[in-house]
Amino acid sequence: MPSRLSLSAVLTVLGVLIQAAPAPAAELLPSTPAPTAKDWASLASLPDWSGTWVPDMRDQGLQETSNPPPWTPSVAAEMRQAEAEEASGAPRGLFINCLPEGMPSWMLISHNAMEILFTPGQVTLLGESDGNRLRRIYTDGRAHPADPDPSFHGHSIGHWEGDTLVVDTVGVLPETFIAISESVGAPNDGDMHIVERIHLAGPGVLHDDLEITAPHALSKTWKTTRVFLRHRLVRDAISEGVCLQGLFAESKDKAGHAVFIPVPQDSGGNVAPKGQ
Amino acid sequence: MTRLAISGVALATLALLSAGPAGAHHSFAMFDPTKVVVLDGAVKEFSWTNPHVSIRIMVKPKAGGEPELWTVELTSPGNLTRAGWTRTTLKPGDAAEVSIHPLRNGEHGGGFLKLKTASGQIFVGGSPGPQQGVS
Repeated sequence: MPSRLSLSAVLTVLGVLIQAAPAPAAELLPSTPAPTAKDWASLASLPDWSGTWVPDMRDQGLQETSNPPPWTPSVAAEMRQAEAEEASGAPRGLFINCLPEGMPSWMLISHNAMEILFTPGQVTLLGESDGNRLRRIYTDGRAHPADPDPSFHGHSIGHWEGDTLVVDTVGVLPETFIAISESVGAPNDGDMHIVERIHLAGPGVLHDDLEITAPHALSKTWKTTRVFLRHRLVRDAISEGVCLQGLFAESKDKAGHAVFIPVPQDSGGNVAPKGQ
Repeated sequence: MTRLAISGVALATLALLSAGPAGAHHSFAMFDPTKVVVLDGAVKEFSWTNPHVSIRIMVKPKAGGEPELWTVELTSPGNLTRAGWTRTTLKPGDAAEVSIHPLRNGEHGGGFLKLKTASGQIFVGGSPGPQQGVS
C-alpha cells in the first residue's frame, strides 16, 4: 500500500508529464504546409498574367450605359437620382472617404492598375490606391469559412478550369458598393455572392467575367465583363498609392523632423486654401 | 497678387475640394466636359501626391490685369508615370500651356486634359493602350 509520500510523488510526475505534452488545442489549428519544389514548378504551367494590368477606361464608360445592373426597383430610383446629380455636376462621390473600393467595385470601376501574383496555393491581386488594395484568392482547395469575418474584399477561393481562374467570393461588407462609376452605385446590403471567370481574351487583354448576386440590391444576378490591358514597361509597375496622403502636407516639427501635418480644414470640413 | 485674385484662389480651391477631403478620389463631374480652357502661364506649384496630382499655375488674363491663380487636378502619380510623367516634369517657374475642362461653377479650376511644356513636349493624363508587340 503506497504511503502518502509516494502517492504525492506519483501525482507530481503525472503533472509534469501532462504539462510537457502539447496542448491539444494547438494540434487542431490548421496550418499551411511548406510548398514543395513540385508546387513551385507547377506554377510554370499557368497562363502568363505577368506585367501591369490597366483597366480599359473607355470600355468601363460604355458598360455604364450598355449593361447597367438589374437594380431592385427602389435602388433603381435612387440610382436615377444619382445619375441626375452626376449629370448636373454635383456628384455624390462614393469613395471620397478614401475607404477601399472593395469588391466588386475594384474590378468594375477602378481607374488604377493592378498586378497579379501566382504562388503555390494562392493568387494575389495587388492594386494602386486605397493604401490597402489586396485580394487573396486561395487556390489550395480550401472551402470558405462557415462564418467569414466581413471585409472589403471578402473571402475568395478559386480553381483553374484550363487557363481560366474561377473565383468565388463571399463575406463582403454590406456597406461595400456595387458601383458603375465613382458617383453612381449602391451598397450591396449583405449576402452578396460573386463568381468571376478571369482569363486572357487576346494578347495583352485580360477579361474578368463577373456574376454578381446581391439579393438586397439587385433583382437578379448581374453578368458583366471588365477589360484590363497589359503594360510591360518598367515605369508601368504599380506604385504606392495612399489615398489618405491627400489629407496631409509635408512639414517640419519644432525639432526639425520631417513630419506630416493635417491640412487645415475650414468650417465646412473642406481643406482651406494654402496661405490663408 | 491682388485681394481679388487671392479670393479667386480660395474659391477655386474650395470648389475643387467641396466634394470631400483633399484629393480623395472622386468623380470629375464638377468639371464641364463640353468646354476647354487653355491656361498659358507660369507654374507656381506641382504637387506630385496621391491620390491626385495638381498643378497651380499663374495665368495672365488676356484682357490685362494681375495674373490669376488656377488649380488643375490630374489623375494619380502612378497613372501619370505610365503616361510618361515624372515628379520633375514641372517645377515652379516653368512656362506651361495647360488645357483643362473648367469647373462648371466658373471658378479658377479644372480637370486636366493636356500639358505643353516650354520645350514643346506634350503630356496627357491617361494611360495609353498596351504597348504593341510586347504584351
